[in-house]
Amino acid sequence: MEPINNTQGTGKKVLCIEDEHFISELYTRALTKAGYAVDVQMDGQLGLASAQSDKYDIILLDLMIPTITGIEVLRTLRDTAKTPKLHAKIIITTNLEQRDEVKTDIEKQADGYLVKAEITPRELVEFLSHLEA
Amino acid sequence: MDYLQKFTSQIRNRLFLLLLINNVLIVADWYVVDRVVKLTGWWSLIALLAVPVLTFSILPWLSTRALVQPTKLIWQAILHLAPATANSVAAPKAEQTHIGRELVANLVSQLYQLASVVDEVERTSQKSSQDLHTNFLASALPLPFIVLDKNESIVFVNDLACHYIKRESSDLIGQNIYTMLDMSFASNKTFESWLSDAKQNSVTADQAWERVRLGLADEQNTLQFDLAAHYNKGNTLGYETVLVLFDHTEQYSQDDQAVSFVALAVHELRTPLTLLRGYIEVFDEELGDKLTPELKAFMGKMNAAAESLASFVDNILNVAKIEDNQLTLQLHEEAWPSIVDNVVQDMSLRAGVRGIALKTEIAKDLPPVGVDRYSIYEVLANLIDNAIKYSRDTKEIFITTKLNDNGLVETSVKDFGLGIETSILPHIFDKFYRNHRNRSQIGGTGLGLYLSKSIIDAHGGQIWVNSKVDEGSTFTFTVQPFSSLAAEQKNSDNGDITRGAHGWIKNHSLYRG
Repeated sequence: MEPINNTQGTGKKVLCIEDEHFISELYTRALTKAGYAVDVQMDGQLGLASAQSDKYDIILLDLMIPTITGIEVLRTLRDTAKTPKLHAKIIITTNLEQRDEVKTDIEKQADGYLVKAEITPRELVEFLSHLEA
Repeated sequence: MDYLQKFTSQIRNRLFLLLLINNVLIVADWYVVDRVVKLTGWWSLIALLAVPVLTFSILPWLSTRALVQPTKLIWQAILHLAPATANSVAAPKAEQTHIGRELVANLVSQLYQLASVVDEVERTSQKSSQDLHTNFLASALPLPFIVLDKNESIVFVNDLACHYIKRESSDLIGQNIYTMLDMSFASNKTFESWLSDAKQNSVTADQAWERVRLGLADEQNTLQFDLAAHYNKGNTLGYETVLVLFDHTEQYSQDDQAVSFVALAVHELRTPLTLLRGYIEVFDEELGDKLTPELKAFMGKMNAAAESLASFVDNILNVAKIEDNQLTLQLHEEAWPSIVDNVVQDMSLRAGVRGIALKTEIAKDLPPVGVDRYSIYEVLANLIDNAIKYSRDTKEIFITTKLNDNGLVETSVKDFGLGIETSILPHIFDKFYRNHRNRSQIGGTGLGLYLSKSIIDAHGGQIWVNSKVDEGSTFTFTVQPFSSLAAEQKNSDNGDITRGAHGWIKNHSLYRG
C-alpha cells in the first residue's frame, strides 16, 4: 500500500454520521491526514441537521444510529420536498448485511455503499479519492 | 356322483364281459380240442394253451385304450389350461371316448370353470396391485409417496404424502407437480432437469437428492427432505414417475439454525474487529519505520491474526447468506493474474508468520475470466488459508494457474503437509465437515470448503481435490473465460451476469426469479 502523502489539504469537507466513537476517531484521523476537514455527528437527528446545511462535499452515513436511522436520514436528504438538492456525495457505511433488494434500494439513493468490516481507514481514503475522480 | 357310478358300472360291465368272453373262449377251445378234433398228447396241450395265451395278451391290449381314454382326455384338458402348454394342446372332445363320456364331459367342464375362476382371481389381484388407489402397500407405505403420469401431472398421492404436504388428495390429483410442489434443490441438478433428461435419454432412471426444500402453502413452514425418484418410460398404467420423500426437516433446520446462530454471534465480532484492524493500521503508519525488527514482526503477526479472524467472520456470514439465498454474484470481465496476485499478496502476510513461502506460477496469455471478484477472492484465500493451516512444518505452497484442455482457467493450490485421508475425501466439501483427526490441532469451522464449492458452482466452475496422507493436498478449481459467458451477458440488462450463489435453486422455471 502506498503511504498517504497528501498533507496539503484537499479543502474538501466530510461529515461523518457515526455513533461508534472509535470508528469515527479512526476515520477522522485517516481523513484529516489525507487533507479532508471532518465533522462528526453521533446521532441521526444532529447528523441530518448538519447534512441539510449543505456545507459538505462528502457525507459518511452509518445506518445504525440513534434517534433517526440512517435509512430515514438518507430518504429525507434525497426527498426534494424536505431537503434542497445537496451537492454532497452520500456514502453509506454499515456493518449490517442488507438483503439484496434493500441494498439495491439504498444504492440507488446513495453514491456509495461500504461495509465497515471490509475496509480499513486507509482503504476508505482510497475509496473517497476514486469517488472524486 | 351319478357320472362316476355310471363310469364304474361301465368299467365293471366291460371287465365282466371281457372275462366272460375269455372264459367262453377257453371252454370253447377245450370243447373243440377234446371233442371235435380229438387231439392227444403234446398237440392237445399246445392247442389248449394257445387260446388263453392269445386272449390274455390281446384283450388287455385292446381294452386298455378304451379304459385309459377318459383319463387321457382329462389330462389333455389340464394341459390345455396350463399356461405353459396352452398353445400346443387342443381342447379335448368328450365324444372321443365311449366309456365315461358323461364323466369326462362333466369333469372337463368343471376344470374349465375352475380355470376361469383362477383367471378372474389373477386378473383382480393384478388389477389391485397395479391400481395404486386400491393397493394396500402404496397407501400404507410409511413414507410420503407421489406418482406422476407422462405429463408430470399427479395421478396418485398416498395418505402420508397428503398429510406431509398438508394438502387434500383431491386438490393434488390431476395437477401439475411443479405448480403443486414448490421444491428447491441444493444444486442446479434439480428434479425437473433430471426428469427432462431421463425422458429424453432413458427408459428407466433413478435419482436421489439431499436437502430438498419445500415451502408449504401457508408460507410459514418449510419442509426439508431427501427425495428419491424412479422414472419408467411409458408405464402401461400411466405411472411414469414415482417420488418418495424422506423427511429430515428437524435435522436440517437444526443445521440451519446452527448457521444462523453462529452468524448472529459472529456478526457481533465485526465492529471490534474493524477497530482492531483500524488501530493496527494506525500503529503501522505511525511506528512502521521506528520499530525494531522484532517488534515489527510482532506487529505483522498481530495484523495477520486480525486478518485471519476477519476472513473467518466473513466466511461464516457468507455461509449464512448462502443458506438464506442472499449471496448473489456479479460476474464481470476480470484479468485473472491480477486477482491471483492480489490474493497471494494479501495471504503472504499470514503465510510469512509461519515461515511459509507462497510461490505462484501463472501461465501467460490467460483469457479474461468471468468472475465475481470478491467471492472468487474468498475461494482462493480459503484454499491458501487451508494450505497454510495444514502445511505443518513444510515451508512451501504452490499456486499455479493455466488454461486447461477444456478451455477453462484452472487454478491449483498445492501444499506438502498433512494430506487428507481417503475416507474423508468425499465429504471434504460438505458443510461443517472437517478432518476429525485434526479437529483439536487446527482451527477452522469446516465451512470454508463448503463456501468455496458453493461459490465455484455459482460461477459454473468445478472444484476438486487430490490428496495423500503425509504428502499434502492439491485443491483445484476452474472458472470460465469471460468470452464463454458472453452469450449469457447479452440477455442481461446491465451488462453484468447475476448468479445466485447456489443456495437453493428453484425447481421450475415458473419460480425462477
